[in-house]
Amino acid sequence: MPGVWIFAEKKDLAQELLTIGRELASPIGVKVTAIVPDQGDQGDIYIAGGADEVVLLSPLAEDMSLDAWLPVIAAEAKKADPDLILLAATARGKDFAARLAARLETGLCSNCIALHREENGTIVMERLAYGGAAVQQVTCPTRPVIATIPPRTFAPAPADHGRLGEIRKLPPPPPSPVRVIARKTKERSSQDITEAKAVICVGRGMEKQEDINIARQLADLVGGEVGCTRPISEELHWLPDDLCIGLSGVQVKPDLYIGLGVSGQIQHVTGIRGARVICAVNKDENAPIFQAADLGIVGDLYDVTPKLVEELQKATGR
Amino acid sequence: MPNIVACFKWVIDEAYIRKGPSGTLDFSAVDYKISDYDRNAIEEAARLKGFHGGSVTVLTAGAPAASKGVKDALSRGADQAFFAGDPTFNQLESSQTAAILGEIIRSRIPYDLIICGEGSSDQYAQQVGPRLAENLGIPCISYVQKLTIGADGRIIAERRVEDGVEVVEAPLPVVVTVLPEINTPRIPGVKDTLMASKKPVVTIKKEELPPVGAARLQTLGMTATRMERNCEKFAAMPEGIARFVEALQKRGVIN
Ligand SMILES: Cc1cc2nc3c(=O)[nH]c(=O)nc-3n(C[C@H](O)[C@H](O)[C@H](O)COP(=O)(O)OP(=O)(O)OC[C@H]3O[C@@H](n4cnc5c(N)ncnc54)[C@H](O)[C@@H]3O)c2cc1C
Repeated sequence: MPGVWIFAEKKDLAQELLTIGRELASPIGVKVTAIVPDQGDQGDIYIAGGADEVVLLSPLAEDMSLDAWLPVIAAEAKKADPDLILLAATARGKDFAARLAARLETGLCSNCIALHREENGTIVMERLAYGGAAVQQVTCPTRPVIATIPPRTFAPAPADHGRLGEIRKLPPPPPSPVRVIARKTKERSSQDITEAKAVICVGRGMEKQEDINIARQLADLVGGEVGCTRPISEELHWLPDDLCIGLSGVQVKPDLYIGLGVSGQIQHVTGIRGARVICAVNKDENAPIFQAADLGIVGDLYDVTPKLVEELQKATGR
Repeated sequence: MPNIVACFKWVIDEAYIRKGPSGTLDFSAVDYKISDYDRNAIEEAARLKGFHGGSVTVLTAGAPAASKGVKDALSRGADQAFFAGDPTFNQLESSQTAAILGEIIRSRIPYDLIICGEGSSDQYAQQVGPRLAENLGIPCISYVQKLTIGADGRIIAERRVEDGVEVVEAPLPVVVTVLPEINTPRIPGVKDTLMASKKPVVTIKKEELPPVGAARLQTLGMTATRMERNCEKFAAMPEGIARFVEALQKRGVIN
């Protein structure tokens, strides 16, 4: 039966997928099915968000992870034969999607940033390639077409409480061979840099974790937030990884971006393309960041930043 | 003692891609490299071997020119390499790569643990590891930042998820995909390079493999993105910094 499926681990991500799911399903009059974990909310919110059918996944035992659902969902998909399955591009979601695609012997567009249906019915999808240096347009000739969609690609679906739909529940799956033996929740940043109007980005040019204060001072002065490159969050763990900007992190679109000791590799620059004014402080005049920037200071950030702070204080009267 | 297979991809170094006329990609000045995170995969295999013994096999499918990558991989602590080289293997799609790697592993390499990078630096589709696991019918643990093999031959992996870390345990064999923070890849020295050329390489021809299916995902086009801006540079001197701040004011981004 034709239709669009959406699958997400989290409520807000499911609501984002419903926006695009609905957009693709309505013109051709097919159903939208939302497959979501049962979080005790009866599933009506997904119907209000645009689903015609909600499949609630029963809570898993403590030592089970999302993987356990794979055989069940694959069997459901074989039975229902949807045209399109959209999954949220979270770590578990991306892994799940690739394995689902393998089981259903079909293609998967990973990290899909845009998709539309052509007049002839073909779904055309876009994704970034070569670290963000290129946009790749792809299609998938087999059914179902599967895509993972990064968080925040689409706005959450507005709620229409008058909508009707069906809700059913799937019983817990048998355990998978992969057993969860511990969970550690991590520190999350309290700020949302994706909405910040100024972002000061910390790169490997910072020598010590304490030095991030230099960036923070600048951020406070211009009313912005501190973000970072992937090595800072992931290799050095100096900042939480929801502050990592770029291909594997978040996209930011501030009025002002200032990179301090950021080399400007393509995977990072991809995440700041939407910034209105891009500035960089780097001691290497050949650093690629200067090609992506509007304004740049060639110099040592430890020397330049305090002077910049002083000058900004003068200029803004703070 | 575990037999470890590390898979890698020989890719275009994206830093050398230029934007050509009318949005095309200019590959004329490119260089090649072992995909960034695949270096972490090979390093992790070598590290685990150092701990538990066993063997490290590196494996790739690609264009014949990827033989350079095979040598590079062998200089990073591997014992032997398997290389499926063919001109038609140049632009493989994830499902095709996973099929070829799966076939070679199943038919030719004893394995307990297969390690892949989290995603390749060219396509970054992040599919080969999980698809490979499905092809072999074994579990997959993706986005791993720490890996240990227990005394009972089970693997313990810390995998990174949005809300934190999930520590999981599974019986071998498994496929694991690794994040860059799992280790720091070595920089091979002259001696490593010399030793690499003496290590066995099993070359597999396309004809020795079952026919490779069509790409599951078809590329319609590639357009270069616009990244370049006209950077105005300022000196790190008091006047330079003052002019920089003026420029910010003029653009209305500070007030
Ligand atoms: C598949 C893939 C995905 C990736 N995703 C991301 C991503 O999402 N985000 C991301 O950021 N990266 C990502 N990367 C990594 C990316 O390629 C770069 O390695 C990374 O962005 C570099 O971070 P950096 O600029 O902080 O460090 P470096 O490249 O080490 O640069 C440090 C810079 O600081 C300068 N410097 C040093 N000291 C000083 C000083 N005292 N004063 C001024 N300047 C100084 C140096 O000149 C240098 O330019 C990804 C890579 C791959 C392969």
